[in-house]
Amino acid sequence: MYNFVQGQLVSISVIIFILGLLYQGIQFFKLTKKKEWVFPPLPAENKPKKKTADQWVIQCLRSLNGTLWKTDPVLTIVTSVFHVCLIVVPLFLLGHNILLDQSWGLSLFSLPESLSDFLTFIVLVCGVYFLYRRLFLARVRAITTVYDYLILIIAIAPFLTGFLAYHQWLDYETIILLHILSGELMLITIPFTKLGHMLFFFLYRFFIGTEYSFLRGSRTWAW
Amino acid sequence: MTHQEMKPVDTKKIREMLNQEKGKMKRYLSFCAHCSLCAESCFLYMEHQKDPQYMPSYKAIHSLGKLYRKRGRLDRRSLMEMKGIVWRNCVLCGRCYCPIGIHIPSMINFARSILRSQDVYPQMDETAYESWL
Repeated sequence: MYNFVQGQLVSISVIIFILGLLYQGIQFFKLTKKKEWVFPPLPAENKPKKKTADQWVIQCLRSLNGTLWKTDPVLTIVTSVFHVCLIVVPLFLLGHNILLDQSWGLSLFSLPESLSDFLTFIVLVCGVYFLYRRLFLARVRAITTVYDYLILIIAIAPFLTGFLAYHQWLDYETIILLHILSGELMLITIPFTKLGHMLFFFLYRFFIGTEYSFLRGSRTWAW
Repeated sequence: MTHQEMKPVDTKKIREMLNQEKGKMKRYLSFCAHCSLCAESCFLYMEHQKDPQYMPSYKAIHSLGKLYRKRGRLDRRSLMEMKGIVWRNCVLCGRCYCPIGIHIPSMINFARSILRSQDVYPQMDETAYESWL
């Protein structure tokens, strides 16, 4: 059982994760088409002048006023830290890289163990904050379903079990098995559940042309 | 009873319309993280003492989301309730902001089209409590 979970099931979940994301990406490009520009590009003399670095920084800081930073600064910080740690911690964890090196002969740069441990703790604190919002904020509760709690559990479980396993609290063998299983479950569910916003955030904000696109938005929905 | 409240619901027509834009709308609905960060971008939400019913995501989930969840099998009463959500609680100003990039106005707009196909839309002579015009 342990060998299967640590061996084949890891490969299966990584393959499902990659193929699932590829499928969703291809579907997105099938469902959208290249945007036809209604307005011709601006003539060169009308184009805004290139900003210097300090002008650009000032403009970025000013534009923060029009973002979530102004309406909900706490959540903006929590969610940004959470999402960065969610990607950084598992990718640059020493234990994961050693296992990667042993099985596939490749590894990434590793963070010091104490830092990874601290960042994992931060992820857990962020998770508790999200749970608090779901339970006690009327506006979040109004749109929360059991599925949302399940998604939160799927996202937090690998970090909670990893934290417990690292500190060797509770039965190590069981916890590490749960850690591997929860990580695999997360990988498998990302392309097909709400966690898919990992991919769709970039597709929607960079490719679809709307008022809030980060870039010009070269595509539009086709129907 | 008004004409709107008596007419039978054409589930087949609703389903046909839902299927037409399934690719886009179902993705919007299923990748919404239910974070409620769109709330403050709606002036109606801010003006109604932050009543969750006026949240853009609430309006989309309880109109179009419900239509997809029930696969169009809704009675006229539910459609009439939806009328309030998509017309009275939303003016389609297009100012709602979603951090993931979901275009909420297009969802409300589509829900309105479906309701219109069932002859559900605001009437000029509606009683005061339902009047939003």
